Amino acid sequence: MSEAMTTSILSDLVAGAKSPANFSSIRSEAEVFLAENGIPSKKHEDWKYTNIKRLFDNGLSLASGKCAISHSDVPGLEVSWSDDETLIGSSGIHRKEALAALNTSVFGKALVVRVKKGTHINGELLLNQEMDLLEGEFAATRVLIVLEENASLKCQYHFTGSGNESSLLDHVTEVIVGKNARLELNFVQGIGRGNLMTTTEVSCERDANFTTNCIQLSGKLLRNNLNIRLKGENVETHLNGFYMINSNELFDNHTHVDHLVPNCNSNETYRGILSGNGSGVFNGKVFVHRDAQKTNGYQSNNNILLSDDATMNSKPELEIYADDVKCSHGSTTGQLDEDAVFYLRARGLDEFGATALLLTAFASEVLNSISNEELRNTLELKIQAKLKEMR
Amino acid sequence: MSLLSIKNLKARVEDKDILKGFNLTVNPGEVHAIMGPNGSGKSTLASVLAGNENYEVTGGEVDFNGKDLLDMAPEERAREGLFLAFQYPVEIPGVSNVNFMKNAVAEVRKHRGLEQLEAKDFLAFMREKQQLVELSGNLAGRSVNEGFSGGEKKRNEIFQMAMLDPKLAILDETDSGLDIDALRIVASGVNKLRTKDNAFVVITHYQRLLDYIVPDFVHVLYNGRIVRSGTKELALELEEKGYDWIKEELAEA
Repeated sequence: MSEAMTTSILSDLVAGAKSPANFSSIRSEAEVFLAENGIPSKKHEDWKYTNIKRLFDNGLSLASGKCAISHSDVPGLEVSWSDDETLIGSSGIHRKEALAALNTSVFGKALVVRVKKGTHINGELLLNQEMDLLEGEFAATRVLIVLEENASLKCQYHFTGSGNESSLLDHVTEVIVGKNARLELNFVQGIGRGNLMTTTEVSCERDANFTTNCIQLSGKLLRNNLNIRLKGENVETHLNGFYMINSNELFDNHTHVDHLVPNCNSNETYRGILSGNGSGVFNGKVFVHRDAQKTNGYQSNNNILLSDDATMNSKPELEIYADDVKCSHGSTTGQLDEDAVFYLRARGLDEFGATALLLTAFASEVLNSISNEELRNTLELKIQAKLKEMR
Repeated sequence: MSLLSIKNLKARVEDKDILKGFNLTVNPGEVHAIMGPNGSGKSTLASVLAGNENYEVTGGEVDFNGKDLLDMAPEERAREGLFLAFQYPVEIPGVSNVNFMKNAVAEVRKHRGLEQLEAKDFLAFMREKQQLVELSGNLAGRSVNEGFSGGEKKRNEIFQMAMLDPKLAILDETDSGLDIDALRIVASGVNKLRTKDNAFVVITHYQRLLDYIVPDFVHVLYNGRIVRSGTKELALELEEKGYDWIKEELAEA
């Protein structure tokens, strides 16, 4: 594909966008995908409830040097900005999903976190993705986290800022969890009125243990695509999310777990509270491939609606092609238990106190899988603050 | 001055009139038993007094310790010293008993102008009250009523009562479904909490509980009204003869 043509496809989507010189092979693959598929409209099954194309139709222009990612310094851990072409893009996600392809076409350098073989990192890595885009601005940022064999890491990844409602950040994190490596990756998303699209593409090698929790507190649009490929046997993975959606907010979580080999466990719990005219989407796919015997796959999505105008679209999907597995999925959407509220009020708690206690308990199943107590406590306070806005 | 004065109370649920002019006066230090056949309005009375919004009050007045009870939200009633031991205690997954009681005791103490308890003192206070109803040590960490046996749930109600130190406790069929040991534990918990300043309204279908918690007065509730009042001998008479003789007498009158 000629450079002129590429530039025109990108520029049609995002004014001023063109591919930087590095990463030429994955960028050209991404551009081919974009040329063939474009940005999905609501006709696309995966984008039925979330109109991302509207942002592009209204016009976006590339803002360079914005949306910086800062990181803490942790002894023993290598964190650097890199244009190493050997691992970045190796997941191939840019050949499958439009927003990941667009990200791949235009991102500058990737922040690479690498934990060397056999290294156990004691401290916790803090990443902060600042969202400082103005009206009509677009940015693409990229992170790669690699845990080599027997390595372990805990990481908090915060998305912060007040955001602009006609801007878009297109973010991709690729994760490789090596043999017998352990990673806990906690996302916290509170971006005011901004629009955020994230793609998290994870591959797990044999005996790996991967836990991810995503706490979603504010945003005009939050769309998280989380794909986990269980490539080696005896992997255990936990993927959890908790979202609080108020008026004029749309949070959309698409998860996809691929059980490719036998003897792996996946556990998924997504929970959320919706109020006002807020909308939520959950689409969780668990694929158990033909060879993946003795798979344990559990998935649940539970939602509490605090208002009549809130909407939740929940679609758990389980596809099983192996014949010796234990899998279950379930989805519930309902109101707060009025009997429980009355019981608590009859013991002296006011209505808000009773509601907050019940909803905090509802959140705790997800929060409790975050190992850092300080982070849990901070999040509980943020949840309480958002509940006050939602009542 | 009476602690509780109910005058001509009328209430309905889902357009069905249940209480049809109920009167009762309770003084500090007294135990009143309210008995009656199924459907007579016993549980409605308990729910209305606690402020359950599923019940609509259509007439009458209730004075609690000099204040208009019906004008208060459920939590205000609790803070003022009214306690309902639920017939069916609610299971609350994810909320621990210690967290629940910490919140409840804090609200009640704040309302009563008492200093808040230090965490250490609170836990000691909780352990002391647990012993009253022989609830085991790990109660604090367990979710409220979740996975509790019927007897444990009722003992947990009495435990909560002990924690909140109410002026008036209404026990709504606390005895139903209990085995003899649980009944004895619940009753002995209640007896230990009796003082000259507080009062109890014991709602029950059976006389058996009243062997353990001896009432000063027994009232028979039938068709939304008290149709007979007496002392504990009335309960024995009801046990022996059932409720039919009262129904017959009322039909003749």
